[in-house]
Amino acid sequence: MTEKVSLKDLERGLFRDSIQDGILDIQIGLMLLMFVLPIYLSPKLGDFWSSVVFLPLWFLVILVPRAYRKKVIRPRVGTMKYGNYRKKKMMRLNIIMLVFNLLALILGLFSFFNFSALSGWAPAAGFSMIMLIGFSTAGYMLDMPRLYLYAILIAAAPVIGEYLYRNFGASHHGFPITFGSLSAALVITGLIILIRLLDKYPPQEKEELI
Amino acid sequence: MSKTGPTENPLADIDQIIHAPARLRILMLLYVVESLDYVFLKNQTGLSWGNLATHLGKLEEAGYVQINKGYQGKKPHSMIQLTALGRSAFQEYKKTFQQLLDDLPE
Repeated sequence: MTEKVSLKDLERGLFRDSIQDGILDIQIGLMLLMFVLPIYLSPKLGDFWSSVVFLPLWFLVILVPRAYRKKVIRPRVGTMKYGNYRKKKMMRLNIIMLVFNLLALILGLFSFFNFSALSGWAPAAGFSMIMLIGFSTAGYMLDMPRLYLYAILIAAAPVIGEYLYRNFGASHHGFPITFGSLSAALVITGLIILIRLLDKYPPQEKEELI
Repeated sequence: MSKTGPTENPLADIDQIIHAPARLRILMLLYVVESLDYVFLKNQTGLSWGNLATHLGKLEEAGYVQINKGYQGKKPHSMIQLTALGRSAFQEYKKTFQQLLDDLPE
């Protein structure tokens, strides 16, 4: 029994080692800027185009860190292909994330086109709930406890923003303050994890030496 | 004729290829994943390149691991995986060793 548990722990440890490089934190942090940057272009370009012009940036946010992981991190840390247990878990996570993304998109569209009577606290609360459940699920399935904290912080951001807007007159429902500071915190956290990892794993000698 | 002969070696049934700590560690790691590359294995085991190559050579010779040589871009990149024989040998090792420990008196 003890042996069974320790092999499971070993697999979990290997999986964590393969993903704990700070890239996900940096990507989440940068993606949060989508709630900050378009706001400032909105008066000139309108809500739609101010969001669209940043689309290439979001692709870069996804692609550049991935390329960095492939070119710099993988040669130092090494590559692991998941076993069947982990593959099934990742597949389930992908499906769940797809559903949450669709829900967020639907909520966004409803809000954007004013197709519903949602106003005031309702969109903020709905968005918060989706983020809270989505990131908590990801934290559980990725065995990454700090995603629970991210879930709470991201879920709290629009609610706190709305509070700042109503009580202190913060611009744009307080989004630039809450999401901007959260974005900075996540990017810095990711960079710290990345720098520590690069320090722990120096560049390896070439494999052909073996 | 005396009934007492040389003491039976309780470790005789243990697979000595697997029993070496470094090779046991390698097989444990490979048991829980599909495959790993040299760098990941080196980082996880803490072995030197030379030791890692020697132990992997013995495991490959026994048919317990398979080294799939390939390229990542223009650089050589090999992935190491447990064979079906290696998987069953590891399971058998676990069973035998567990039995051996269970049979020890308190």
